[in-house]
Amino acid sequence: MKSLTELAVTMRDDWDRRVQHDYRFWIANEISPQSLLWEEGARDFAQMVAGLPFGPDMTAVEIGCGVGRMLPAAAAKFGSVLGLDVSPRAIAKGHELQRAAAINQGTISLAVSAGTDLGVVAASSIDFVWSFAALPHMPTRVFASYLCDIRRVLRERGCARLQVFIGLQDNPAESDTLRVRAYTERSLKEAVEKAGLRLTGIAQVAMPLQELLEELYLQPVVITLEAGDGSSGSFEDVAAALLPDGPEVDSAGTSCSDFEAWLALNYADRLYQGGDFDRARSTLEYVTQYCKTTELDVRDVLERLTQVSATRQMVADIEACAGDGEIYRANVEVLKRRFPEVWEQVKIGSLPGEPPIEIKASIDGPVLWSGSTCLDHPEKPVSAGHAWARRTLNDARIAQSSQLVVVGFGCGYHLESLFESRSQPIACIETNISSLRRALEVRDLRAILEKLSFLAVSHSNSLECSLEGLKPDSEVIVRPQSLVISGELVHAVTKVFNKQRGRTSLHPRIAVLGPLQGGTLPIMHYTTSALHRLGQRVRAIDVSSFSSGCDAISKLMHDDIRRNICQQTYVEMISSILLETFTEKPIDILICMAQAPISARALTELRRKGVITVLWFVEDYLRFTYWKEFAKCYDYVFTIQKGDCIEAIRRAGATHVHYLPTGCDPEVHAPTILTPEERARWGSPVSFVGAGYHNRRQTFARFANLPFKIWGTEWPAMKPFDRLVQESGRRLAPDEYIKIFNSSDINLNLHSSSERDGVDPTGDFVNPRTFELAACGAFQLVDERALLAECFEPGREIATFSSVSDLKDKIAYYLEHPEERQDIARRGRERALREHTYEKRLDEMLTTIYASSYQKLRQREQESPWAEMIQRASFEPELKERCERANARGEEPILDGLIADITMGEGQLTDTEQKLLFLFHVRKQIIRMEHEGAGVRN
Amino acid sequence: MKKRHPNKNKVLLVNITRLGDMLQATPTIAGIKQENPDCHTTVLVEKQFSDICHILPHIDEVVSLDLSFTCRSLAAEQVGIIEAYQYISEFVDKLRADNFDYCLNMSSSAYTALLLRLLKVPRTGGWTADEEGYRLIESEWARLFATSVHYQNRQYNSLNLVDMFRCSADVEQHPEKLLVNIESSAKRHAEDLIRSAGFTNTGPIIAVQAGASQAKRQWSPTLFVEMVKILDREYNARVILTGSPKEISIVQPILNGCQSNNVFSAVGKTSIPQLAALLKECQVLVTGDTGPMHISVAAGTPVVAMFLASAYGFETGPYSAGNIVLQPVIGCGPCNPNKSCSRPDCHETISPRLMADLAMARTAGEVTELSREQADPRHVMVYRTTFDRHGFCDMQPINAPEGDEFSRYRNAYRKLWLSDLGGFEVERTPQRHSKSSKLNIVDPGIEGLQEIANCAYTGQQLMRRLRELILDVRAPGAALQRINGDIASLDRSIEELGFNYGPIGSLAKMFLFAKENLSGSDPLSLASQMDSIYGDLGRRCERFSDFYQES
Repeated sequence: MKSLTELAVTMRDDWDRRVQHDYRFWIANEISPQSLLWEEGARDFAQMVAGLPFGPDMTAVEIGCGVGRMLPAAAAKFGSVLGLDVSPRAIAKGHELQRAAAINQGTISLAVSAGTDLGVVAASSIDFVWSFAALPHMPTRVFASYLCDIRRVLRERGCARLQVFIGLQDNPAESDTLRVRAYTERSLKEAVEKAGLRLTGIAQVAMPLQELLEELYLQPVVITLEAGDGSSGSFEDVAAALLPDGPEVDSAGTSCSDFEAWLALNYADRLYQGGDFDRARSTLEYVTQYCKTTELDVRDVLERLTQVSATRQMVADIEACAGDGEIYRANVEVLKRRFPEVWEQVKIGSLPGEPPIEIKASIDGPVLWSGSTCLDHPEKPVSAGHAWARRTLNDARIAQSSQLVVVGFGCGYHLESLFESRSQPIACIETNISSLRRALEVRDLRAILEKLSFLAVSHSNSLECSLEGLKPDSEVIVRPQSLVISGELVHAVTKVFNKQRGRTSLHPRIAVLGPLQGGTLPIMHYTTSALHRLGQRVRAIDVSSFSSGCDAISKLMHDDIRRNICQQTYVEMISSILLETFTEKPIDILICMAQAPISARALTELRRKGVITVLWFVEDYLRFTYWKEFAKCYDYVFTIQKGDCIEAIRRAGATHVHYLPTGCDPEVHAPTILTPEERARWGSPVSFVGAGYHNRRQTFARFANLPFKIWGTEWPAMKPFDRLVQESGRRLAPDEYIKIFNSSDINLNLHSSSERDGVDPTGDFVNPRTFELAACGAFQLVDERALLAECFEPGREIATFSSVSDLKDKIAYYLEHPEERQDIARRGRERALREHTYEKRLDEMLTTIYASSYQKLRQREQESPWAEMIQRASFEPELKERCERANARGEEPILDGLIADITMGEGQLTDTEQKLLFLFHVRKQIIRMEHEGAGVRN
Repeated sequence: MKKRHPNKNKVLLVNITRLGDMLQATPTIAGIKQENPDCHTTVLVEKQFSDICHILPHIDEVVSLDLSFTCRSLAAEQVGIIEAYQYISEFVDKLRADNFDYCLNMSSSAYTALLLRLLKVPRTGGWTADEEGYRLIESEWARLFATSVHYQNRQYNSLNLVDMFRCSADVEQHPEKLLVNIESSAKRHAEDLIRSAGFTNTGPIIAVQAGASQAKRQWSPTLFVEMVKILDREYNARVILTGSPKEISIVQPILNGCQSNNVFSAVGKTSIPQLAALLKECQVLVTGDTGPMHISVAAGTPVVAMFLASAYGFETGPYSAGNIVLQPVIGCGPCNPNKSCSRPDCHETISPRLMADLAMARTAGEVTELSREQADPRHVMVYRTTFDRHGFCDMQPINAPEGDEFSRYRNAYRKLWLSDLGGFEVERTPQRHSKSSKLNIVDPGIEGLQEIANCAYTGQQLMRRLRELILDVRAPGAALQRINGDIASLDRSIEELGFNYGPIGSLAKMFLFAKENLSGSDPLSLASQMDSIYGDLGRRCERFSDFYQES
């Protein structure tokens, strides 16, 4: 077995040789023009860095950077970027290319590495380590060695993202530096742990030659790694974990494999067909010189070479028929009739920014190209279409779906293959109008257009409506080509579709975790009620009874540090209880309200178990900053602020951050008729309900001469508040403040500020009180907020004030104009009920979650024992329906869950119910007999 | 004898979980065949007991339910539930296809009641369920069965469950013993076993069954050792220890403690048919209240049986004449079968000497008398099993002719149920006082009896009033509501009286079971049924009082 150093020498020699031959072919994408080198680098880097924090004070290093095509993109996000490669020729070429492209190299460094570790990089100096299309080519022991070294160089909160392959295949000989290696997910996880790292995510990634990879059952993924709790083990242990079936064996003789020869010959073939005879010749010489082989059958290559002339003839034919020819007109006839909306879009033509579509010939007919990507198979679209359809339908999820939605039309070869082997409806979404138009020009697509159940051309402006016609139980399959050319749009299509079907087809088990105490506690209840009303399987986790523990700690501890430590320990204890709760009754989504007492450890543990963690951060992110520590523990963060808030929380590590204001619960916040006694107690011309924050004290002290009542806590026991504050400043229950809202002529609503006097001119978010008052049909005067006008139209649906003096004037005005007050309040209530209920908010939250996590939730549901139970119960419709209902109720997959509604119900029992009860009593009897210790005898 | 369904054609007997139960059903099955010679009898048992059914006479077909599979599937939960459901579904379909015209379920479990409901058999005895899944007990004998096994009423009962089971199936003619066929191959196996034992003693062969279904019903191995030593050394007896393979750990200490050529362990060496054959070769079996006890009785070998802890001889005692039953006299016995016992003092009330002497005495013939010195009736009652003139099993005390404190109640209840439910003529003595008032009909010596009788009378009055209100279209709704409230309150009083006063517990329980079996939804019919139920209660109170005074 070679030493690591010897392997590094092999790698260096091999890659130097390849770079010398043709760096574009071996390192970059040979098909693309050289000018696209950096753009494609940027595209690939965007995949690597998606969702991660970055900034000018952060550092990044790439393992196996080749000529450094991703480095300029990295330098745009990081303050300092280092590219490492074992090949001196590659590094030299990188310098040359950067100079030629006049790329500012101030923040970019390129260096030759030892090839087996990050030795040149100082310990704990890097925020982000990445590698793309490099590690899979390295011998497994070298990969293991890198894994071990990553732990050393990462800063405390740093992370690594490495592109690897997941799959089952016979890995090549250890000295093979070209064929890719694949590992199982389990091996990867184990190896990463042994390397002292923690695997925090696995995401699919688009790669060149995606189709070829799929045919080899290789799944390209990016793994996200963070420093683990333990130290790094030996690289031998890590390598052993990666290869549980034994180490890679080495091959005798040259490291230049048949595979390399085969690739080079194909390349020569393409160059020849493309008319680049010089490079074709040099490539054949490369094969002759370095890749002498007796085993490779080159007949296939030769056959293709002989087809060149025939293909050229076909290109001529295609060119002749392109445009508004006979084929196009025939296709359009069907298109107009079947999908008139699509026809309208095709008529308009391509949209700005759409890449041009080129038609080329293949042995089976015309194929479409977008830049360097062929939208069909470049050579054998028919057989490739068959292979794709076969593979696609092998997936039970897809095969069993009521409708299959294919994203990507191409020239339709793959759709024809699908129609041959599938009877259920097939729909198609094309993301590029030009592409569809070109396809209509060059192929007879009438049969496809007749058979398609649905066709849409989607672009970012019309996604929602174009997908409305799809059935919710459809399955979406995205063609890799579409992912490559319109990745973002395809993701958007998938999201919109998932969002639409998620609400109808998913039934996740949701828990809502409230805070220990404070104003967010009622929002937890409103959230739970709203989810109930939306038909969700939800339960509230009310931990408010634990608040007394926190109070006790505060009383016992006077030192801030000690008190904080104790409170953190207390939260850890509550978190452990919560984890047990969720083990006993599992959940799929945990919605944590702001200040929910759950630790990062517990959240990480839940995420490890596949639970989607959500934070509804209904606080001012500038005042409460604990999100900095916790953002990365949540899959979704919903905020009541926009702009900087969302960016800041994203930078802190949250992947999905969305704006979602609070709202009202019409069952609680509603107009109420009060008795005269109640009006006397709760009513007043002017009222305020809320805690005595600084700006409120400072403002309301000036209103002592008004008929004004203040309700709430934390008001000073001094003049003038001693007269204004009601009932000793006690805490009010929601039903009490509803009475105040309904019996006050003017309800003041001044957003709190601990720093500023009066109205905060930079205040943005809208507090829950605004929506609650509006829903009560109560008149309110609220301070102006940046986000208020989106919710209510000032002056028409809500009355606002901009300063204390403005407030004084408006109080006087509105006290004199009761009809105007009523009109504004009425319109405000209508708007609140129409747009600002918690039901609306939670619906939005769920659809946002479903948009990105539909597959994950769907998979969890399918993996749930209920899924198999439902399937197995199909022999008896009533039993199946009972299983489905129990699942929808959120019952556990046990007999008690299945019969819960029978034992609670009344009326005549059906046969099925009797049989289930029979089983229930059998089990009960057996348990009783076991308890008695009854034996066989007697 | 009063009969509900005298004629039977295709009969299903549900007797699922216990070996003893199957054997105890043999007089009933034989009786059904005797009274309906052309009828076809099918027995439904748990799979592990299906083999034994083949050696029970008069059974035409055996259907087995694989409860082990069902329970394993249910324990696996998730898909296991569906598998269990599918199995039960197919099982029910198969049974339905047999079109039984009569089904007797004497298992009080809720699942067998539901099974009967699922089978939709038109005529049933014993436990079944209504259309909402609630338990129904249609036969009054079966209700008496349920009443008698209720923990509070057990000691007031002297009717063997075998007879209650039999009467639930309307069987009058029957053998006064349990039945089993001894196969010739099993007999040969038993003879071989005895030959292989290598006994040197020449006295009687005495079988000893040490294991029992619950630890607290199992006499201590030390006491068994002592008893066996007496039998071996003083009586020249040959002792065979019986038991299933699971009972080796119970028997081994006895075997070790005796260290004798004349003590042979047949534990784990016999199947059920072979055990029956082996017991037939013995002169007597010493046992607790066990399955082998019933096998022995069926094989014709008398038993000397200890009814320890929760076992109660009158209830499940050996069903043939001439057996000896020992029942400890202790404040806590017979105890609750569902509770364990950390100090089973009842075991100490029976001495090894007494057991050995009784076993030997029984080998010589019927034992009809014991002196107080041999068995002190303050600590243990010793009975001899007999049959009364109506063919009901009974137990006569042989160590205290005057009986125990419960015997007067037991006798009164025995006469009550035989006459009231069975229509049998029972021995009467002239009444000592005349009843001029309905409100003073019963013996004031039985606590609570007068109150419960008054309740029955009030109930009948309420029913008359209820019927009037139902028929009166102008009756105010409030009046109906009020009377409903009064009935609910009255019924609660009856239930509470039953709880408060042990001797009348059976009367109250029978009332409650009858009420649970009200059928239909027509108010007048329901009122009429209730009137009859109150009437039954009143009549039974009166008769019970009379029989009590007579005894």
